[in-house]
Amino acid sequence: MTSANALPSALPRLAAVLGIAVFAILPTAGLPAFYDSFFYIVFFWISLSTSWALLSGFAGYFSLGHAAFFGVGMYTTATLTTQFQVPFLATVPAAAAVAALLGIGIGAVVFRLKRLRGELFALLTLAVTFVIATIILNTPIDGGAGVFMSAVPMPDIMPTQTGTIYVLGFVMCAATLAIAWKVAHSRLGMGLFAIHDDEDVAEAKGVPTFRYKMAAFALSAGIAGAVGGIHAMYVGFLTVGGTFELTVPLYVVLMSVLGGSRHWFGPTVGAAVITTLLYAFISGGEAMIGRAIVGLILIVAILWLPDGVVPAVQKWFRKRKASETEPAASIVPVVTAPARPVGERTILEVRGVTKRFGGLQALDGVDLDVREGEILGLVGPNGSGKTTLINVISGFYPLSSGTIAVDGAQIGHLPAHEVAGRGVARTYQIPRPFVNMTVLDNVALAATFGGPVRPAAEVRDEAVHWIAFTGLAGKEQALPAELNLHERKFLELARALAARPKLLLLDEVLSGLNPAEVDNAIRLVRAIRAQGATIVFVEHLMRAVVELSDRIAVLNEGKLFALGAPREVMRDPRVISIYLGKAYAA
Amino acid sequence: MPSATLLGQALISGVLAGGMYGLLALGLSLSWGLLRLVNLSHFALAFLAAYIVYDLGTNYHVAPWWSAMMVVPAMFLIGVAQHWLFDKFKVNELASLLITFSFAMIVEAGIQLHWTADYRRFETHYSTWSLRAGPFYIPVLELVLCIVAGILAWGTWLWLRKTYVGKALRASAEDADIAAAFGIDHKKLAYLLSGIGAAYAGVAGTFIALIATLAPAQIWAWLGVVFAVVIIGRLGNPLGALFAGMLIGASESLAMAVLSPAWAPVVSFSVLIVILLWDPDWL
Amino acid sequence: MIDRMGAWPRRRVLAGMVGATAALGAPAILRAAPSGKPVRVGGTLSLTGFLAQTAVVHKIASEIMVEEINSRNGFLGRPVEYVLLDDQSKPDVARSLYEKLITVDKVDLIQGPYATAPILAAMGVAQRYGKVIIQSSMGIPKLQTYDMAFPATPFGPNPDQTYPNVILDAMASMPTPPKTIVILTSKFPSAQFMAQGMREQSEKRGVKVVLYLEYESGNRDFGAIAARVKEANADFLWVGSLGLESNQVLEALRKLDYTPKNSFHLYPAPGPLALSPDAKNALCSTFLEPAEPFMSRPGVARQAAAYKERATKANLPYAIIDAQAAGMISEWQILEAGVNGAKSLDDKAIAAFLKKNGADTIYGNLRFDGPYNHGTAEQLIKQVQNGEWKVVWPAKYAAPGVKLIGS
Repeated sequence: MTSANALPSALPRLAAVLGIAVFAILPTAGLPAFYDSFFYIVFFWISLSTSWALLSGFAGYFSLGHAAFFGVGMYTTATLTTQFQVPFLATVPAAAAVAALLGIGIGAVVFRLKRLRGELFALLTLAVTFVIATIILNTPIDGGAGVFMSAVPMPDIMPTQTGTIYVLGFVMCAATLAIAWKVAHSRLGMGLFAIHDDEDVAEAKGVPTFRYKMAAFALSAGIAGAVGGIHAMYVGFLTVGGTFELTVPLYVVLMSVLGGSRHWFGPTVGAAVITTLLYAFISGGEAMIGRAIVGLILIVAILWLPDGVVPAVQKWFRKRKASETEPAASIVPVVTAPARPVGERTILEVRGVTKRFGGLQALDGVDLDVREGEILGLVGPNGSGKTTLINVISGFYPLSSGTIAVDGAQIGHLPAHEVAGRGVARTYQIPRPFVNMTVLDNVALAATFGGPVRPAAEVRDEAVHWIAFTGLAGKEQALPAELNLHERKFLELARALAARPKLLLLDEVLSGLNPAEVDNAIRLVRAIRAQGATIVFVEHLMRAVVELSDRIAVLNEGKLFALGAPREVMRDPRVISIYLGKAYAA
Repeated sequence: MPSATLLGQALISGVLAGGMYGLLALGLSLSWGLLRLVNLSHFALAFLAAYIVYDLGTNYHVAPWWSAMMVVPAMFLIGVAQHWLFDKFKVNELASLLITFSFAMIVEAGIQLHWTADYRRFETHYSTWSLRAGPFYIPVLELVLCIVAGILAWGTWLWLRKTYVGKALRASAEDADIAAAFGIDHKKLAYLLSGIGAAYAGVAGTFIALIATLAPAQIWAWLGVVFAVVIIGRLGNPLGALFAGMLIGASESLAMAVLSPAWAPVVSFSVLIVILLWDPDWL
Repeated sequence: MIDRMGAWPRRRVLAGMVGATAALGAPAILRAAPSGKPVRVGGTLSLTGFLAQTAVVHKIASEIMVEEINSRNGFLGRPVEYVLLDDQSKPDVARSLYEKLITVDKVDLIQGPYATAPILAAMGVAQRYGKVIIQSSMGIPKLQTYDMAFPATPFGPNPDQTYPNVILDAMASMPTPPKTIVILTSKFPSAQFMAQGMREQSEKRGVKVVLYLEYESGNRDFGAIAARVKEANADFLWVGSLGLESNQVLEALRKLDYTPKNSFHLYPAPGPLALSPDAKNALCSTFLEPAEPFMSRPGVARQAAAYKERATKANLPYAIIDAQAAGMISEWQILEAGVNGAKSLDDKAIAAFLKKNGADTIYGNLRFDGPYNHGTAEQLIKQVQNGEWKVVWPAKYAAPGVKLIGS
């Protein structure tokens, strides 16, 4: 969501400033106090749903436990004010801190476990809510009697109590939105969006997924805690049932979905709409019909705008811009780069690498050296361990034993994002672009996390360069779904290159291409090597392997079977036999 | 330390209560797992069925199994109609949450308009019948519910595993495009599945009418626990849903027998959390 | 009309009587109906959400009372208009809606909502704007800290001490007075509050508490709890229940083939419990039932009939007037007494009048001069006899011929 804003950039900024100013001075406008309360409630839901979306919308870790953080915040404030006479304002940061700690605690355990994604994460957060609610119910924190808050003195920020609550809610909301905006436009946000689309690929591109998820979760929980702390004063009497009921976790999801959960402003729209709707039908005479009407409106809204309001508005603005002609991906210009001599430095050093999956030995002691500037072809029958070797080198699988060094640095036991940081990039046999990000954003992400920290404009230029290099010029604003297979494969390459890797691992980049596209790709691989990269590529298409490789390594049953110049290796009868059976070897 | 009789009775009671969770979870699990649609209106439909069974039984003295025979097919049609809407508008998983929630709101409002918010209890003379097995009592209605739930769960599981239609559905759920390439008509299957899920809601509703007391707000009372059951049992796995329901019911009940009953959710959900962290595949 | 002769000048009474006689004799001539700008009384009720099942009772009672008040003199001769909003069973919504009623709709007076949490939320608003607030369903009087809040139901200032003794008295009067008691309670604030009091008072009076269990409100499965209750097998079962929990407990016990010797239920829904086949002779708390001596209180018979008619028309399964409806009736009677007595719509004047004079209500004469503005406790015990609720204790409130059935 970084560069795709089609509005003139001055307008949203102006609107934001105006909005903040108007709402900041609203309580002094002399409106009846009810409006202070009503807007407080709107701010309340905006803060809650936006904080939920920080992790669940941006990163896709669907949490059903937002009530846990909200409730913990509420009860922290309640306990500190009523049992320890701490002034109310001082308890709000405490509430945020306790909730954030809870989030960090949960995340520290859960985010390390790959299998706890998707619904299992939702379940876990739901279970945590039940546990916390029950603990609070059965201990002196609440104990079942409820906590009576009306006697706690309110700070004197505004002349009226409702005015004060309004200001607190407004400040909280503004702060939350500022945080959401900042996250969405920062490296953290970029990483979270990538995690949403494909966490493993994000990690492979250098995104420190664990750290980022923790940061998002801590922010999300902390904000919810602070909101809860303030709300304790609003409600006046806390009960466990009322605090931890399913309304909070459910409504924040609905509001985010309605507004668009991947956009920092989406939940705001959803929260404002739903809260206003719920207050529109409060008359005692039509209470039930009112709820039915609200339900109907929501159904119509989401059927019409399935991705949410904000994305729909964005799409509309984008369509209004003159749509450029979409040139087909051009053939990569022939780079008559001189054949670079292979250097002396060993870029990749693989020693005794084994990889076991339970009882299956996928790699059985592989030794390999690849020199700087070399193109090494990696071939072998199906199941010989080629992709496993790539996965192990790139850090996707941990080693069972052995060592791997890239340009002298040991990477064998590093997490994938740190391997990426050491100059290793890979592509996937079936392209795995970030489906909700444009081509430009896909490549820019790789450039951001694969290179040194630099201003966004520089990153953008670099991305554009690599997009052109791979022949995708003109497709920067396209979404991956709009590309054909050939273009998507080249997007994989552009992404890999944007990190300026020392070592590039290509996994069957030619499969599925027609002969003209194959020639194009071969030219491209050569051009990449001319830039100074070392390439290890897995391939089945023999003519390409022979044409491109300086050397060929043959894997069979997890072991290095043969290694040498292409023509020799391919004529070796043992190699032929493992492909076609002994009868052909003669 | 509680007696063995007490523990045994608590276990029985919990497993049977879990049967209801499992029955409710069945339809939800199918549509979530195989259609990628989170159907929050499942509960509302179950209660709608329950209210109708109650109404027919109390006002027209129709026996519940006859009512069920009318209500369950009606629910099937509602499920098909719902899916028509989802299909026509190409609704994704997140959007389905919002739509079905709104639909549930509408059904709840409709129920309250017609039957009021006041409690309604379908009184039958057999509601407190129990079988005796040694020192233990096994309530008959709950037992029947568990048997029915078991049959439905096992039958669905067999259907999904063994028949062409079942395999086709699972294939479509994994990769609809490839399945279509093999000639599997995803659309028709999805309608069937949606209808079945709603029909199961109807079955659950019949038992809710017999066992529980009805109030419109009760629609939301089961949401949390049934969600947990659906996920634990693995999406799309009918036997898993039933087993998970009984697991949660039993652990809650045993906790209530040993500790202060108000602590029970901590125990059952802590056990759950530990299992999830240790190895969810064990479930 | 409520008997307040002593407070009125003789002249007025005479005029009133003449007018009334004339009215009776000439039905074609309209009585002096209240006229002019309506007095708007604002309030919320939980018309949707989990409190809705009882709020509907309050709504019907309010409608009856507003009509009744308008058939008399209204408020100071002006008709009363009840501006009712739905707080969706949520205290934060209740709070904001009371602010709307007071600051936007600018109602003249307010009426309280239903249930402790919304009441406390509304009370905060009332306090900030100096409005009188009358409520009838908050079971924890010590939380009513606002000086101009008035309880319409005679809980008394500390019901957790007084009411258990009423129950214990009843127990002591049984043929075989219970010596052991099982206390089972929901962890809902008002129920838990009373359960703790029951435990304390039982122990003080030598009744042994053999089992004390708390369950979370919203508990679904009572099987294990029933097994523990059955095993304890005490002489008396006290359940701090709300809504349907009593039905669930009794049913769960019957499934184990166990009927408690005596059982008491705190705040269950009266209809379902009376109709339950497992609730024979179950005891329950109440403040009023439609029988003597309550029916001969002024206006009660008519209110009970009106309630029955409207509740039936509204399709409620249980159409008999009960303590919840009576509480709302009492709320309106107090407001009417306060307004017409103070001859003013000014909240301070109304509050002062009520504090000084109390009010005559369906519960008799209520006074507001005790702690938390609560007067004498008048919480009673009713029993299911032949499918109907009958007040049985204290004996003076039992209808002639009705007695507490104990085992």
